[in-house]
Amino acid sequence: MTSTVAEAAQPVARSGDQAGGGARRPRRTGPRRVSPLILAFVLVPFVIEAVWVFWPALQGFWLALTSWDGLSAPRFVGFGNFSDMVSDPIFRTALKNTAIWLVLFGGLSVIGGFGMALLLQRERRGVGIYRAALFTPVVFSLVVTALIWRVFYQPDGLVDTVFRTVGLGNFVRPWLADPDTALYAVIVPALWRQIGYVMVLYLAGLKAVDPALYEAAKVDGASAWQRTRYVTIPQLKGVNSVVLSVIVIDSLRSFDIVWSMTRGGPYHSSELLSTYMYSTAFQSTQLGYASALAVVIFLLALAVILGYLIRAFREES
Amino acid sequence: MTGLAADRRTFLKGLGLLGAATLVPGCATSTKSPGSGSAATGELSLQSNLSSEQAKAAMEKLVAAYNKTGGSQVKLNTVAAEIFRTQLPTYLTSANPPDVYTWYAGSVADSYAKKDLLLDVTSVWDSMGNYSKAMQSLSTSSAGQKIFVPTSYYWWGMFYRKSNFAKWGVTPPKTWAEFVAVCKTIQSKGIPPIGIGLGDTPWVASAWFDYLNIRINGAPFHRKLLAGEGDFTDPKVKAVFTKWREVLPYFDPKGKSFPFQEATSALLAGKTGMFLIGTFFADSAPKDALDDIDFFQFPIIDPAVPVAEEAPTDGYFASKKVKDPEGTKKFLTWLATPEAQNIYVQSSSGTAIPANPDGKSADTALVKKGKAMIEGAAEITQFFNRDSSDALQPTADAALTKFLDKPDQIDKILADWQAAAQKVFKAGA
Repeated sequence: MTSTVAEAAQPVARSGDQAGGGARRPRRTGPRRVSPLILAFVLVPFVIEAVWVFWPALQGFWLALTSWDGLSAPRFVGFGNFSDMVSDPIFRTALKNTAIWLVLFGGLSVIGGFGMALLLQRERRGVGIYRAALFTPVVFSLVVTALIWRVFYQPDGLVDTVFRTVGLGNFVRPWLADPDTALYAVIVPALWRQIGYVMVLYLAGLKAVDPALYEAAKVDGASAWQRTRYVTIPQLKGVNSVVLSVIVIDSLRSFDIVWSMTRGGPYHSSELLSTYMYSTAFQSTQLGYASALAVVIFLLALAVILGYLIRAFREES
Repeated sequence: MTGLAADRRTFLKGLGLLGAATLVPGCATSTKSPGSGSAATGELSLQSNLSSEQAKAAMEKLVAAYNKTGGSQVKLNTVAAEIFRTQLPTYLTSANPPDVYTWYAGSVADSYAKKDLLLDVTSVWDSMGNYSKAMQSLSTSSAGQKIFVPTSYYWWGMFYRKSNFAKWGVTPPKTWAEFVAVCKTIQSKGIPPIGIGLGDTPWVASAWFDYLNIRINGAPFHRKLLAGEGDFTDPKVKAVFTKWREVLPYFDPKGKSFPFQEATSALLAGKTGMFLIGTFFADSAPKDALDDIDFFQFPIIDPAVPVAEEAPTDGYFASKKVKDPEGTKKFLTWLATPEAQNIYVQSSSGTAIPANPDGKSADTALVKKGKAMIEGAAEITQFFNRDSSDALQPTADAALTKFLDKPDQIDKILADWQAAAQKVFKAGA
């Protein structure tokens, strides 16, 4: 661990020397003195990070290999927790729901956010109001969002009333208490919030696109669709990678909204990996199994994001 | 340059804040306690999960009264119930734990005694000779030591509005057949007869399981089953659900969507007929409506089975690592007195009954009736989670809410329940 610190510290030190030496690539001319201030800037956060992030994370990996109730000493069980998962029907539901969540929540918020950004990118009168309106849900805490939507969904609440008014009364059901609808009923408010967030990211990206490109495309006779397809989308590559990371991470860590709306219920039908991890850890006090679930979530996030990053880097080089 | 200096200063400030922020969350396996341990200066810390406004005020009064008696000074630390529940193992296993804790009698306390984390309070019980046999056995660990000091209890019953029962022309039923008849009558008036609140509070369904099981199979069978010595796929357990299914059509279908507080409102508003609930529901009920509230005992199904009632008992236990065992025991002895229990019961919502038989409960017809019902019972059970563990409760929640939704899948539900429970028992062993 300490060697990585030294390595990380060195380039910083070198660039600090640049002004004096003038050489762009300094050769190794014996040991250089690293400014203690810079060393402190690197080491202090690293130590804090190591104690409060890396060490607990490593412990999490160790706990994933144990059976632990939080009271007695953890008992080593090897990969027993992971083999238990294979035969655990709740784990399978949670995995499936997490995949549904990733596709629906992730996909729809990208499409919705991008669509809204395109609609609202041109400066028109009153456009600020629409942007603000779409962004407002992002400001609310997800727990507040959940409370608002629970009122909408309650029996004879807003959603039921709307369905009945448009003549779809037959579809009315206990939205959050029906295992067939609970998950989707939670995705809607999550999207309600996320679309505004993604929209802002894309709006910022669209602002950075050179207007000259559009003019050139227009002169060449490109239609509005062609301009979007061949100018806007390729220009947004940088934003896309940010959005993708945000979406994947947000999907996998989605917890608060599900927990405050359904607690993964009724009978585990809206369980995500994150809520299942929480309930196994803090309700069933199977901390070893819960740590194993956390490891699975970590690996999933890593796989999705690494996959994308590797492809992105390959294209660049 | 000044601009740069200012930037650096704000940056350093930010770094400091960041550092402070990272210090806040604790690490799950660390043994540091977030609660304040007692100093050796005769100060005791009391960790309380009674965080509702009324109960918290009652606790503050109680502690203030003790601090005037001249013993150790007690410092009250109130924590939200859900956090308290998840943190309790961390408190108790930490190097410098808080001294005294609010908690529940029975299996949920014994599980900590089994790990040798609790103070032996047998000497406190020397002054508690007048407590009932049931209270004594509830406070005794499986190793035979007294580890708990009970201070109050409440009861569960089938609550209804007197005026509505009069309007519908029904009288409180005593037997299962009468109960079914009452349900039929109420339903014929267009009102869902049985209220329930499972959204957010799915554990309310466990009351039905508990009562049906102790009425059909008896309390000893129920306790064994919850302790992991039985099997949920047992035909005797299935019989509970067969009986339950007879009244499923009378449950309020909306009850799946809202928590018990809203189910209480529904009962008070006359939108449901009856509601099997503990007396704590009264905390969220308007006082004037309470005068119209009455309850009846859960109907008798098999007269041959000794009558058991659910009477969850609350009280205190102490950590084994207390700095000042004598001071702690003195405080616990005081908590067991009728005077202390009266202070608490009078200041809280008023439906709790003092555990000390000499304590004064609220002087209402409702409380008198509840107290008489519990005192007349041959056996006392606590509640599903208290007779088993908080870890087993979610398995019951999943099984019971699924049963209410899909009663024809009962065999699969029971098999799944047994598998989930097995896992919990294995992890706890």
